[in-house]
Amino acid sequence: MKIIKVCATVICATLLFGCVQHTPKDLTKFRGQDPHSILVVPVVNKSVEVTAADYFLSTISMPLGEKGYYVFPVNLVKRVLEDEGLSDATLVHNASTKRLCDLFGSDSVLYVTIERWDSQYLVLTTTVTVEFSYVIKSGKTDETLWSDKRTMVYQPSNSGGGHPIAMLIVAAVNAAVTKAAPNYMPLAKQANMQVFAYPGPGIPAGPYSDKYKKDLPENP
Amino acid sequence: MKPLIVLSFLFFLSGCAQTQYNWGSYEKNLYNHYCNPAEKAEYLEGLKEIIEDAESSNAKIPPGIFAEYGYTLLESGKTMDSILFFKKESELWPESKFLMKKMILIAEKSNKSVKTAPVKPELK
Repeated sequence: MKIIKVCATVICATLLFGCVQHTPKDLTKFRGQDPHSILVVPVVNKSVEVTAADYFLSTISMPLGEKGYYVFPVNLVKRVLEDEGLSDATLVHNASTKRLCDLFGSDSVLYVTIERWDSQYLVLTTTVTVEFSYVIKSGKTDETLWSDKRTMVYQPSNSGGGHPIAMLIVAAVNAAVTKAAPNYMPLAKQANMQVFAYPGPGIPAGPYSDKYKKDLPENP
Repeated sequence: MKPLIVLSFLFFLSGCAQTQYNWGSYEKNLYNHYCNPAEKAEYLEGLKEIIEDAESSNAKIPPGIFAEYGYTLLESGKTMDSILFFKKESELWPESKFLMKKMILIAEKSNKSVKTAPVKPELK
């Protein structure tokens, strides 16, 4: 019975660790500016996977919307920027935040850079890694209101019931499956979920959340 | 000890699993659209489903969905319909008012050019 309790506690602790990370961050500027809307501009992609930037865009609206912010329609924004001759994400990231916000009527801009989006094939297993850096800048003052970085690594679990040959087969199947379609999307979603969590590394709740202005550090 | 375990689990569930809006298949749908950008019909249908589901259950449509739907209609040449959804986004989310006003202007402009386009070759 005691063992079960200990196990349960350990499981709880690991679960909680995934959601809440205690890295105190100075959010005075963020709270001071109190952005109601976030414009997510196209993602700068430093990986060799050309499709990663677009794929990432599909994972970003939900976590921010759920936090209580108005998130500008990411696909519309991307296309409008392309029409304005700004299809190069690096160009957009280097442009003035204020000007971007004036163009769309936004309070702030979220810039995401894909640092890594790759799979490493070892003999019988594949490791999938994604790494993103996130920066939110103010549309009023151009200054950085919040920033963070996330790395997620996925390695298929090789459980073959302990039998050496069974384990080899499972590992080979895992590697084959991952090689055909590396599982990036759950990792990207996980990274976003963790990075915006608050209390934790993330941002406070936005105006459409019940927790808006109630999640101050003194009464989390 | 027991209440602590239960509390931790509840906290985990409430912190991670609840959603404010019903996003339906939004993420998967946009992902599929980026896998195959030429295929617009399926993407459009997916957005329509989110809107219909929310409307039938009286739930609030997630931010940006009306606008994405409107924009995809505009890309498919349905300009008058697109204006309707840009207006809906604008009414639901005051933060989008500025951009939606711009989008409506773009739609109206392209509506005119669509109407005059077939006339030009005939004049030649």
